[in-house]
Amino acid sequence: MWSWIPSNTSLIWQLTWENLKLGVLPALYGLVISLPLGIIAARWRWFYPPVLTAVNIIYAVPSLALFIALIPTFGLTDTTVIIALTVFSLCVILPNVVEGLRGVPPAVTQAATAMGYGPLRRLALVELPLAIPVIIAGLRVGVVSSISLASVGQLIGVSSLGYLFIDGLQRSFPTEIYVGIVMVIVLALVCDLILVAVRRALTPWLARA
Amino acid sequence: MITFEAVTKRYPDGTVAVDGLDLEVPAGQTMVLVGPSGCGKTTSLRMINRLVEPTEGTILLDGTDIRTRNPAQLRRGIGYVIQQTGLFPHRTVEDNIATVPVLTGWPRKKARDRARELLTLVGLDQDLARRYPHQLSGGQQQRVGVARALAADPPVLLMDEPFSAVDPIVRASLQDELISLQAELRKTIVLVTHDIEEAIKVGDLVALFRPHGTLAQLAPPEELLAAPADDYVAGFVGFDRGIRRLSFVRTTGLALGTGPVLPADATVAKALAAGEPWILVTDPQSGTPRGWADAARLAALPADTPLGQAAAEPLGHTFTVGTDSLRAALDAAVLSPAGLAAGVDDGGRVIGVATFDQLRAAIQAADAADGADGAHGRNGPRQ
Repeated sequence: MWSWIPSNTSLIWQLTWENLKLGVLPALYGLVISLPLGIIAARWRWFYPPVLTAVNIIYAVPSLALFIALIPTFGLTDTTVIIALTVFSLCVILPNVVEGLRGVPPAVTQAATAMGYGPLRRLALVELPLAIPVIIAGLRVGVVSSISLASVGQLIGVSSLGYLFIDGLQRSFPTEIYVGIVMVIVLALVCDLILVAVRRALTPWLARA
Repeated sequence: MITFEAVTKRYPDGTVAVDGLDLEVPAGQTMVLVGPSGCGKTTSLRMINRLVEPTEGTILLDGTDIRTRNPAQLRRGIGYVIQQTGLFPHRTVEDNIATVPVLTGWPRKKARDRARELLTLVGLDQDLARRYPHQLSGGQQQRVGVARALAADPPVLLMDEPFSAVDPIVRASLQDELISLQAELRKTIVLVTHDIEEAIKVGDLVALFRPHGTLAQLAPPEELLAAPADDYVAGFVGFDRGIRRLSFVRTTGLALGTGPVLPADATVAKALAAGEPWILVTDPQSGTPRGWADAARLAALPADTPLGQAAAEPLGHTFTVGTDSLRAALDAAVLSPAGLAAGVDDGGRVIGVATFDQLRAAIQAADAADGADGAHGRNGPRQ
């Protein structure tokens, strides 16, 4: 029964690639949207509680339900899955952007202001760099959960490693299911390790503790 | 020169942090703002670089109202040092120091060269240039903070409790270095502290605040100790201000006796003939002090015994005549078993000893002169 694997490698690789796209793109979009929202929320405190509540409510919606809600507009397409997963990524990344920026020691921001940094330069050159570890921690959760949730997209016909679960179940062929599970885990692990490496490269000051 | 004209800071909740403050910080001098917490000293400091805006009144920097200046531009010309250092954790020591030069558009290479110069100026090793702040000790971080504030050579330096977070020994050496740096650089410094000892040590002028932001007294440190304006000031400067004030009086005019000073090769008979209760035994070659010999115990020894063989009490400590203050001389007398202060020259050779009576005479003479010799601050005697 393990012979199924070598005879289907091209299918497995194709599904892995599609799953990777459905996992990584939403996390990146989520990051791009979270940054401005998080910056606003960190600066104007009143902005954050309502946004956080809204984000948490959206996060509570089951992924399949969100896919279905998007189908009338975007159809049974990658776009539907990517939008839904972007929203979920946003939910985990945004709080980390806010916490990362709020975690910058007040003495450091005060010193930056007193040195003559304007607000934008201070944000770009002092606050965001110092928030990187916390932001990337959020991004890691976003990527891993998107890779995992992408397989649910198979239920509305969007191709991913989820195909192996459904096909394996219908054919009562567990090997296919095992391969699907292992590939999802491997994919998540590899992406996570890459993000750890990126974090290390961007934060050399944390290297030697 | 920094001028506060009727400056008030009132917060929206009605708290008054600073109340109608008039203050002038002369160019090239160190002004210390001191007082209990909540007295408005830090608020006053932060108004100078517009981190806090006054509710009423005007602050002038060299005659120009600071509200007419762009805040970021203004701040690049004012060095700023704070207790928690506020160093950028993500930048190396040299890049931290180069912050303001880079902001003002220096090429990075030139800014880093300048950073290395400043490392040397604040007494740090060049090897630290590529380290990150968390890899340095608290005292080293504070020095980097001072170097960063000085990097663009601003005429004004603001220091908010700069030495409060380091241990007392490091603090004392940082204070000493600030004093010698300032003697060289002649910046206009405003330093905030809650420590009156620090204020008296580093200040040319001390502005003592009352709670709620009014001035209790503005005076040079020796005047603050000699003539406190009221009970509040007297209480704040402490009960031993009479003795601490002696830090500002030189020992140049102190009368010294040589009667009880004998070299170690002199005999017991000669020591007893001097008629002194205690003999200061010195080295026959170098003239440096060895210790005190008790005449009552010398009397029990054969008359021809050299003093060097007699048991001697430890020296306590000596004072350097002319360099040290009367406070150091008085301390030397208190700690000596003989009750005498041993005065030495710069080479450590004994010049003579002073009795409590002679010390008192010198103190009274200084009071009569009323500080007219102008010996104060960093130009005064070593404290």
